[in-house]
Amino acid sequence: MFWNKVSKALKATPLYVWVIMFTVLPLLMICFYAFFEVKLTGIEFTLDYFKAAVTNLDYIKTMGLSFRHAAISTVVCLLVGYPVAYILTGVSERIRGLAVVIFLLPMWMNFLIRTYAMRALIEKGGILSGVFELIGIENGTLIGTDAAIVIGMVYNFLPFMILPIYNSLNKLDHRLVEAAQDLGANAFTVFRKVTLPLSVPGIVSGITMVFMPAVTTFVIPQMLNNKVMTIGSLIEYKFKQEVSASAVSGTGAALSMVLMVLVIISMTLVNKFDKDGEGGGFI
Amino acid sequence: MMKALKRFYLGLVLLFLYAPIAVLIVFSFNTEQNRSQMQGFSLKWYVELFEDEMLLTSLGNTLLIAAMASVIATIIGTYAALIIGKMKPFAKTTTMSIVNIPIINAEIVTGISLMMLFVFLSIPLGFTTLLIAHVAFNVPYVVLSVMPKIRQLNRSTYEAALDLGASHAMAFRKVVLPDIMPGVISGLLLSFTMSLDDFIISYFTTGPGFPTLSVTINTMTKKSVPLSVNALSTLMFVVVFAIMLFINLRKPAKKGDS
Repeated sequence: MFWNKVSKALKATPLYVWVIMFTVLPLLMICFYAFFEVKLTGIEFTLDYFKAAVTNLDYIKTMGLSFRHAAISTVVCLLVGYPVAYILTGVSERIRGLAVVIFLLPMWMNFLIRTYAMRALIEKGGILSGVFELIGIENGTLIGTDAAIVIGMVYNFLPFMILPIYNSLNKLDHRLVEAAQDLGANAFTVFRKVTLPLSVPGIVSGITMVFMPAVTTFVIPQMLNNKVMTIGSLIEYKFKQEVSASAVSGTGAALSMVLMVLVIISMTLVNKFDKDGEGGGFI
Repeated sequence: MMKALKRFYLGLVLLFLYAPIAVLIVFSFNTEQNRSQMQGFSLKWYVELFEDEMLLTSLGNTLLIAAMASVIATIIGTYAALIIGKMKPFAKTTTMSIVNIPIINAEIVTGISLMMLFVFLSIPLGFTTLLIAHVAFNVPYVVLSVMPKIRQLNRSTYEAALDLGASHAMAFRKVVLPDIMPGVISGLLLSFTMSLDDFIISYFTTGPGFPTLSVTINTMTKKSVPLSVNALSTLMFVVVFAIMLFINLRKPAKKGDS
């Protein structure tokens, strides 16, 4: 009996070791470096880094700006992506699969190359430069503006909004729509009372999939508007440029911890709307 | 009228999604290093691509890591899903939520947390750390794809195999494995593409001696990007496009058969 139990425990042990080692421990490392300083003389507890992360005005502004950019981009993705997903569900079944793939295909292109491609389009002297000058945009470029960041984010993350919404709309029981129509609802009421509420899980997944990478990205701001710091580029700067490769930035660790908590809070708030918790099913 | 409007809207969004890619492809055929004016048509950048040691090495590194990490992650993830599938409800939810952390967490947080672990353990950043990091963020995706198949698993067929004299190993190989195989394969493909496409986690967990394609391109964007990057992107896009087209043109035929 005893050995039976041991052999059972042993089977699960490698899994626990792996998960603790490479999932739990790395997160503890963030807390460790945020609150402790490793010196030659030993390890010292310090609140300095954490205090800096939550009280430094520049850092707070950076956080605010990142959340604002990400929120605007998420709303734009939703407004642009929802109609796309909705129209796609009405495409004839013969070509629907292909039509969906065409909208998702850019997702399989390298993220950096996509952003770089967008930069080539909107930079000074780029393809659209003449058009921008014509409509009175300064220097004929969007690079260096907040608009560039939002465009870059929408461009990169739009497929992540379309896919989950499309999936939840596609699963929708069409008889419900017909029932609503039979009961005399007009097209708008059907949409507002039936289609929209039933696609909420998809919307929630879409928002999660867009908002999270958008709030933490450092590639998009660095490539499209390097005049502003976002929380992602601030953390990147702390770890990659301020300290040498073999050192760890305490402030960077504290900032990452704060970012992690803020993202978890916002995601929990968003997920509250998905009451059944079924999710849109991205995979 | 409504139909035309719908088509127009889809066309507009497609234009937004594909214009940068189209421009990127067109300029890969430019004769000069110029990203705003076509000076003529040539295959010069495609030739240069195959002479660019840095780009080719990085591409090789990316493919190597993606292949190794996806295979290792698939083995660990399938094993994890089998173990978790047998757990009692409470242990199951707890373990699942811990396993899922890398999916829920922001990539930059996963990246720097792993980097700090490697620094703490004094493992120099390079091939090993990059491989561990990729396996670490791929495992939850494999678990996620295999788990539904395990839930659908019919226990009685496994027991039937044992009753008919099969050993546990044989019953697993002949009965359980074929049933969960579609989930295992999709987990493998998913982690392979995740690895190929990853930049943020690689950026923090690899060293200068082992750059991946994304890391190299990122370095290039700080200075100037040679048009051979456009050429490489075009080739990669064509390959992906062909694969997706192939898969999707085959699907409807299959449906018709059954």
